[in-house]
Amino acid sequence: MNSVSKPLWPVLLGISLMLTTFGILHAAPSAQQWQSLNHSLVEEHILPRYQALQNSSARLAASSTALCRQPDPRQLKQVQSDYHQTMDAWQAVQHIQFGPIETLMRNFSMQFWPDRKNLIGKQLNLLLQQQDPQTLSTGYLYKASIGVKGLPALERLLFDSTLSDFENNSYRCHLSQTIAAYIAENSQATLAEWNADYRHSIATADSEASYYESHQEASVDMMKSLVEPVEAIRDQKILRPLNEGDQVRPRRLESWRSQRSLRNIQLNIASLKDLYSGTTHSVDSLLREQGRAPQADNISSLFNTIEQQLKTVQTPLVTHLPQAETVKRLRQISDALQQLDRELSAEMITLDIQLGFNSRDGD
Amino acid sequence: MEINRRRFCQLLGSAVLLPRLTLAASAGDNSTKPMFAAAAKGRDGQYHLYLISQQSQVLLDHILPGRAHHTEPHPQRPLLACIARRPGSFIDIVDYQAQRLVKRIIAGSGRHFFGHGIFSHDGRWLITTENEISSGQGRIVIRSLEDNYSIIADYPSYGIGPHELIQQPDSEVLTVANGGILTHPDHGREKLNLETMQPSLMRLNLHTGERLEQQVLPAELHQLSIRHIDTNRQGTTVIALQYQGDAGQNLPLVAVHRSGQAIQLLSAPEPVNRAMKGYCGSARFDDSGRFAAVSAPRGDLISFWDLQDNHFISSVRSPDGCGLTATHNTAEFIISAGTGRCIRHNILSGETTRMPLTLKTAWDNHLTSVSL
Repeated sequence: MNSVSKPLWPVLLGISLMLTTFGILHAAPSAQQWQSLNHSLVEEHILPRYQALQNSSARLAASSTALCRQPDPRQLKQVQSDYHQTMDAWQAVQHIQFGPIETLMRNFSMQFWPDRKNLIGKQLNLLLQQQDPQTLSTGYLYKASIGVKGLPALERLLFDSTLSDFENNSYRCHLSQTIAAYIAENSQATLAEWNADYRHSIATADSEASYYESHQEASVDMMKSLVEPVEAIRDQKILRPLNEGDQVRPRRLESWRSQRSLRNIQLNIASLKDLYSGTTHSVDSLLREQGRAPQADNISSLFNTIEQQLKTVQTPLVTHLPQAETVKRLRQISDALQQLDRELSAEMITLDIQLGFNSRDGD
Repeated sequence: MEINRRRFCQLLGSAVLLPRLTLAASAGDNSTKPMFAAAAKGRDGQYHLYLISQQSQVLLDHILPGRAHHTEPHPQRPLLACIARRPGSFIDIVDYQAQRLVKRIIAGSGRHFFGHGIFSHDGRWLITTENEISSGQGRIVIRSLEDNYSIIADYPSYGIGPHELIQQPDSEVLTVANGGILTHPDHGREKLNLETMQPSLMRLNLHTGERLEQQVLPAELHQLSIRHIDTNRQGTTVIALQYQGDAGQNLPLVAVHRSGQAIQLLSAPEPVNRAMKGYCGSARFDDSGRFAAVSAPRGDLISFWDLQDNHFISSVRSPDGCGLTATHNTAEFIISAGTGRCIRHNILSGETTRMPLTLKTAWDNHLTSVSL
């Protein structure tokens, strides 16, 4: 042993220094590390958010029912406020696109957006014209078009109306109540399935019973939830309304009717930041354990930059979008998001996470 | 040094200097018997064509000049044709026994490939789908192996965006999937005509280019792109579809075609069909020709179908799984994934086994059995 190590150690040291410099020596995280990360993210990030969604949507369902019983300005305000709370909760968990929220396309049922062909408007108007009492049950909504059962349909009903529309036991009021009840049921079922099954499946990701074959495979779903929304927010919530090279399109903004387009983006970014670094074991801490502290710092500061930039944009976005200053600031945010997307994607390679090759860019 | 030389050669695009072929497996009967070939993206960031043995060893590792799509084995000789994905312009013809690049075909000027090509049953022709960029019209181009892959015929595909093509069994008839989606290299991979796209399944005479049969989907389903097809020994074609319309629609994503009949659409049970996320990536028949597999990489699942009576049988989970090929066992397939995993699944026994690959790579869309 000695006779070998003596002449060789300077060489080995040299090689290892070289490898460290080029970042090749960082081994991929262990199954144990992935398991810890998954545990933190499920318990501290995902479940509390679905809990919040369940709570706020239950309040929304209750106040919508009360509005039909006693339509007055105060109660309509209350329903609108509960709608905002529910949308807050949804925007804070919109990035989680795996697990029970995918079952029966609950994600699309909660929010079908962007709606390029005005499917929601068409389907909703049809219901409002026909006023068929049979449509006023959540049972009907389970089978109904994706357009009429979620938060955007409810937004139209609540924010495109006056109090008189909700009076006299109107169909419109009862439809709002039914959609709110459906959203509450969906939220409740999502949380229930996480608690009953999916949480366990992730905790035991390397066992026979699990949906996953390994802890890393479960982490891939978590990492997709971190990386993929960055580009989606940029493309759909910022660039599409900016309509590069042409006139801005305010009605392409998400939630423009309830004047909360910017707030949605702020909540999305805050959630992604929490997913990145807000839990006991986090992607941030994992990167540091892998010797990628400078890159982790970079990502953190990008999140902070974007949060600061968002604060400088004037609201409501739907009215300020045509202003040159707003366009300029949104472009800066778009650039920062692109940078964040690049940095996060690069670190996925460091972490040996393949986000999807055929599924993301197939042919 | 090695990296610099390789990069330089790639820029040069030289067929003489470029090949870096290594015989990775040592001698030994089973370990050198080929099983499948596929293009992949390596951890080195480069694109590779791999040939894997029955013992899951790497028999061939050929560096490609860019991302490829489908790999086609020659029916009689130890050749693989690896075709650039759209809008690429190379086809590498590799002799895997001699471990050498035999020929790098470059698409003609004003043309690019769509990622698919086949050898004719008699092994004399290489037939590819191509884009005539100026007109946006699809072309079927035939190159002669005897004449150093020179072009001997160039027909219209009678559609836009022809993708996969297949030669019908025991006949001189080609079946072509005209995906219907217009792209232009100036706009990368952007889809330019989603509102008006009109995909079709076309049958052509291999020798004359004559149009023999054309099938389209009902007008309201014109956004279902007909992209990937396979034909069994009875001449039945299975079709994997991709929906280009709004998410949330739950349309059929698999179809079957028999000569002279309209395309018949097939849906999986609702939860499975929805889970396929409007996107199928590959379709293959099994060895018997009765069963078919259709991959849904966005839904992380593979669906299996009995095409004797056109019904859905089952599905298996395969994260980012897309590549499919039949083994010599009835109802059995190999499935490759972008995660690097390859599994073998038998529909009848329900058994799934993971192949013991030591190679870690992102397998690209298609997988091909090699059995010479």
